[in-house]
Amino acid sequence: MAIAERPAETVSLPRVNVRPGWAGWLSTTDHKRIGIMYLVSAFVFFLIGGIEALLMRIQLGTPDNTFLTPDVYNQMFTMHGTTMIFLGLMPLNVGLGNYMVPLMIGARDMAFPRLNALSIWLFIFGGLMLYVSFFVGGAPNVGWFAYAPLTQKQFSPTAGVDYWIVGIGLTGVASIAGALNFIVTILNMRAPGMTLNRMPLFVWMQLIVAFILIFAFPVLTVATIQLLFDRHFGTRFFLPNLGGDAVLWQHLFWFFGHPEVYILILPTMGIISEVLPTFSRKPIFGYAFVAYSGVAIGFLGFLVWAHHMFAVGLGPLANAFFGAASFLIAVPTGVKIFNWLATMWQGSLNLTTSMLYAISFIGMFVIGGISGITLASPPINVQQTDSYYVVAHMHYVLFGGAIQGIFAGIFYWFPKMTGRMLDERLGKWQFWLMLISFNLTFFPMHLSGNAGMPRRIYTYEADMGWGLWNLISTIGSLLLAVAFLIFLWNVLTSLRRGPIAPADPWDGATLEWAVSSPPPVYNFAVTPRVRSRRPLWDEKYPHLVNGSHEAPTARPRSPLHDGFEREIPAVMEPIHLPSPTYAPLIVSVGITILGFGIIYLGDFGLIAASAMLVGLLIMAAGIFSWVRISHIDSPHHAHHGV
Amino acid sequence: MVIDTLQLSGIIPLETSCNFSRIIRGGCPGYSRKPYWRGTTLSVAQPHPRASRAGAWRGAFMNMLPRFLLRWSRFLLLIGMSVVLAACSNSPGNTYDPHGDNARRIYELLIPIWWMALGVFVVVEGLLIYAIWRFRRRSDSSATPAQVHGNIQVEILWTIAPAIIVLVITVLTFRTQAANSVIPEDALRIKAIGHQWWFEFQYPDAGADGKPIVTASDLYIPVGRPVTVVLESQDVIHNFWVPKLAGKTYMIPGKTNYLSFTAEQPGIYRAVCAEFCGEAHALMRFRVIAVDEAEFNRWLAQQKTPPPTPAGTLTVNGLTGDAARGQAIFLDARKQCIACHAVEGTNARGQIGPNLTYYGSRQTIAAGVLPYSPENLDRWLREAPKLKPGNLMSRVLTPQWIRQNLSDQEIADLVAYLDSMKVSVTLPPER
Amino acid sequence: MSESSMTRPRAAAVHHTSLGVDNRKLGVWAFIGSETLFFATLITTYFVFAPVNRMRPDFQDPRKFLDIELTTVLASILLASSLTMVLALSAIKRGDRRWFTTWLLATVGLGLAFIGGQAYEFNHLYHEGLTLSSSLFGTTFFVLTGFHGTHVAIGVIWLLSVFFKVRAYPDSPENPMDVEIAGLYWHFVDLVWVAIFVLVYLI
Repeated sequence: MAIAERPAETVSLPRVNVRPGWAGWLSTTDHKRIGIMYLVSAFVFFLIGGIEALLMRIQLGTPDNTFLTPDVYNQMFTMHGTTMIFLGLMPLNVGLGNYMVPLMIGARDMAFPRLNALSIWLFIFGGLMLYVSFFVGGAPNVGWFAYAPLTQKQFSPTAGVDYWIVGIGLTGVASIAGALNFIVTILNMRAPGMTLNRMPLFVWMQLIVAFILIFAFPVLTVATIQLLFDRHFGTRFFLPNLGGDAVLWQHLFWFFGHPEVYILILPTMGIISEVLPTFSRKPIFGYAFVAYSGVAIGFLGFLVWAHHMFAVGLGPLANAFFGAASFLIAVPTGVKIFNWLATMWQGSLNLTTSMLYAISFIGMFVIGGISGITLASPPINVQQTDSYYVVAHMHYVLFGGAIQGIFAGIFYWFPKMTGRMLDERLGKWQFWLMLISFNLTFFPMHLSGNAGMPRRIYTYEADMGWGLWNLISTIGSLLLAVAFLIFLWNVLTSLRRGPIAPADPWDGATLEWAVSSPPPVYNFAVTPRVRSRRPLWDEKYPHLVNGSHEAPTARPRSPLHDGFEREIPAVMEPIHLPSPTYAPLIVSVGITILGFGIIYLGDFGLIAASAMLVGLLIMAAGIFSWVRISHIDSPHHAHHGV
Repeated sequence: MVIDTLQLSGIIPLETSCNFSRIIRGGCPGYSRKPYWRGTTLSVAQPHPRASRAGAWRGAFMNMLPRFLLRWSRFLLLIGMSVVLAACSNSPGNTYDPHGDNARRIYELLIPIWWMALGVFVVVEGLLIYAIWRFRRRSDSSATPAQVHGNIQVEILWTIAPAIIVLVITVLTFRTQAANSVIPEDALRIKAIGHQWWFEFQYPDAGADGKPIVTASDLYIPVGRPVTVVLESQDVIHNFWVPKLAGKTYMIPGKTNYLSFTAEQPGIYRAVCAEFCGEAHALMRFRVIAVDEAEFNRWLAQQKTPPPTPAGTLTVNGLTGDAARGQAIFLDARKQCIACHAVEGTNARGQIGPNLTYYGSRQTIAAGVLPYSPENLDRWLREAPKLKPGNLMSRVLTPQWIRQNLSDQEIADLVAYLDSMKVSVTLPPER
Repeated sequence: MSESSMTRPRAAAVHHTSLGVDNRKLGVWAFIGSETLFFATLITTYFVFAPVNRMRPDFQDPRKFLDIELTTVLASILLASSLTMVLALSAIKRGDRRWFTTWLLATVGLGLAFIGGQAYEFNHLYHEGLTLSSSLFGTTFFVLTGFHGTHVAIGVIWLLSVFFKVRAYPDSPENPMDVEIAGLYWHFVDLVWVAIFVLVYLI
């Protein structure tokens, strides 16, 4: 494709000021670099979370095992859950979104590039903060849900819970900042003609997730702040013996926690809504239904939090309401699944690794959805909740669903991001090994759960009859690790020796494939004009446009550049890119130091307070330089100044 | 082909009466007992009538399926079937083997939902696999398929279809829920209190002078009579779960919950704390002992009277302990026992640990860590920190403290004393 | 990539956005949406515990502690600061630097007065025996109003940074928008106080 090169004759391309080497990464404000930083750091955290899971599986492989002590085991499952959710899945989705969303909507960057940099740094520091806890008295050991009052100081005296609170807090601020950025970028920076109903579905889902996020996270933030005050400053929000309410924590936590599930799964639903049409060589079936069922899921997600609490004793009426609301989510989810099937129907399926992952997403997610139905029924739930059945259900949704979706996305976009193709043969090995070992690991958990095995136990008796299931799960998890090693090997070798990726290796229909692989810093030399949901296909296959659902409004011959020559004076904007800056990094360092101070404020008042002061000063310096650079960088300044 | 393979490898019998619903109910006794193929003449494997087409089938999938999968298919099937096999073995916690009305109603609700779920599963996965097989790209022809963008009718259809299924499930669910949330007026009320990490049980007004009978880790209930367990917690959140009798209910500090159920058959049922409650959460277990009403009343009457003055000896690990001496040691404040433990009819009134009245009849030691026996009790007294990490007693009974304060003889005496306090009750079978 | 700074073609048109709203303004609106949930959670917590507080032996009656007169003054201070904020924005929009400075500094001053008043109130309550740990009322009241106070303080810092930015770059055409979005946040914080004042102090 020569699309990206053509306009170069008419527009003077910017020479961009990028610092070389590490400095370039530390000071970057480029959404693509930040996206890669998200993906790499999240994958590292993901591997660590995987190692924690392996240690647990080894411990549970045989009854009465003594490989891990109970306290270490409890730290492992707490950190596994926290890591996978906050430091693994979420940022992997954010990373893909960060890289792809501006490209897919025809923008040159995110709306707030410096805020974007702040998000990545706060995320990394928040994650590191959580892991520092291992070296200062023990990681949190209260579960990722951190039910009160077990989290109170009298039951959990180590600083683990404090690190959990502050670490989650930092990544939470990063997530909210990131979500604001996505909302503004998607709503406000679409290329001309890219109406909401022409946006790629991945972008749609990222938009929905961003809205879920800004409404769900503040509730978690408040709950953790209250917990912090309980632990250090004498309040009693969650202290039942002083009138506090242990159940309130659960309400607050799950009001965040359930939408969080959709924060994890919706972006990957978006990914496969891109991958399936591309490799079926058909448009997505029922675009509007897929998009708006996502909206419905996001909305309903806020009304079902108490289905995590059916055994709490909220009363039959409340349980009935939340049960029925949870069942309702099956409808938009079913709509999505059928639309995906219809997208494949009568297509010409190109079974690449990416496509296999997308198909397998459907296959495995259905199992997770079905087990979700029984869990949504309050009477059945009280038998299955807190048993391994839930562990199975959740991993079918978040591994069979989210992780496989992310792999579909990575295999799909890796050529775009790196300019190299991943090895398809290794990819298929990885896929099949992962699919088999995933089922080997998690399917038996349905059975051990129904055989009465509760969650979060570090050991069990041989005569309970759970030994075989657990052994199979453990074997499966070890194989799963091999699949990940294959992927790691594939990435490392392909980065060096992989075939050079063309701009459009999969014959894609969306805008990211219109630019070179990897894209130039400025993404688009000329802002593309969009006339349908498949701008690039309109360009490549003009004869199909007439058969399309949405009739083109102008000359079908070359919609992407249609009118380009004529409209130059009006369309042409200067290519304006944010300068690199260390300001976001400095601000995040300041905030992180502030966070450390808060953890120890209760115990070492003076030292902690002075640390907080230092943190504030660093923050202030960062903000000062931030304001300065943002002024220098503003398009008006560029116009008038220099 | 699948069936052939399995039969040849002896995994499933040639003729079977074990159907799907029996398998999920856990009731296929014939499977695990005796290898079927011993002494059975196997039919000679016939070439499958469609074997010749297998080659074509393989070729079609070659571009997505690595060869190892086909080579290992037999092995994978073995694994798969052994999973099904093991599903037939009964676990003491099997929720598909209900013995109480609450658990049975849940199970009966699960079955129709199961079939609906299976239907959805088969339809979706079937369509998926058919689509892969039927619509995979053949050769390198670049013919573009018809560009279909959608169809309102079918959208409406597959919006309504799941909605109807969900509606049916909701109605079924509400019916069961209504039945299971009834708290009968005439039910026997027993208070259960969660502690880190053991269960305390109180039978209000049942003891002498209208005091409650207090016990721990073994919950005696009558068969056939509704029981309402009043659930509370002393410290953190716990979760009361007897899988074969009823669903879970939380024990929450500062809140009282109620769970009603009726045991339908006598038995000793395994039960656990199902909510993570700290370091030794995994070792917080109890037994529900359901006996017929007469036996239950006999048990209550015995519990009402304090244990008689201890007498007799008991030999554990070569040392003979004396029960009377053991009681004196137990009641000696310097030995710390009564700081936490109580025994009815003595000066031992500690409230922190489990009440040890009639300890000799307990089923387990330390909330299910060890089965009860004098030998294990001896071991528990010596190795509490190792056997149940984090438990409160191990903070006092450190190895060093024991060396200084309890001789082997004294431990033997204590074991003899605790073991001497027994109630006579005919125990039902383990379930 | 070149080391030299990038070339900047001349801007022909104003910055284009899909919705026609300035990016930062849209972002602040979304942020305010998020903050609404933050305060809604805190206020909900307050109301969950209000009846529990009444039933407890260490019950502290909000009516006995809260000084309506003082907080009415604080509320009017904050309301007045919203007015001065509006005036500051209109001044900068018409390019009136002198009145902009006056009104913005007045807003900052009123904000500081509010924080001072709240500090006085907290100090007073502490001496009367209402603390974070004295009762459920103390717990919920201080955390709710304290976090509101923190937001006011952040608002003051924001306004000051806008003030200094405008002083440093008086000709920047972005100045009105800078003032406007700071004002949006300020009005929101003000509105939260109205909610707290009505729900906690008056009811």
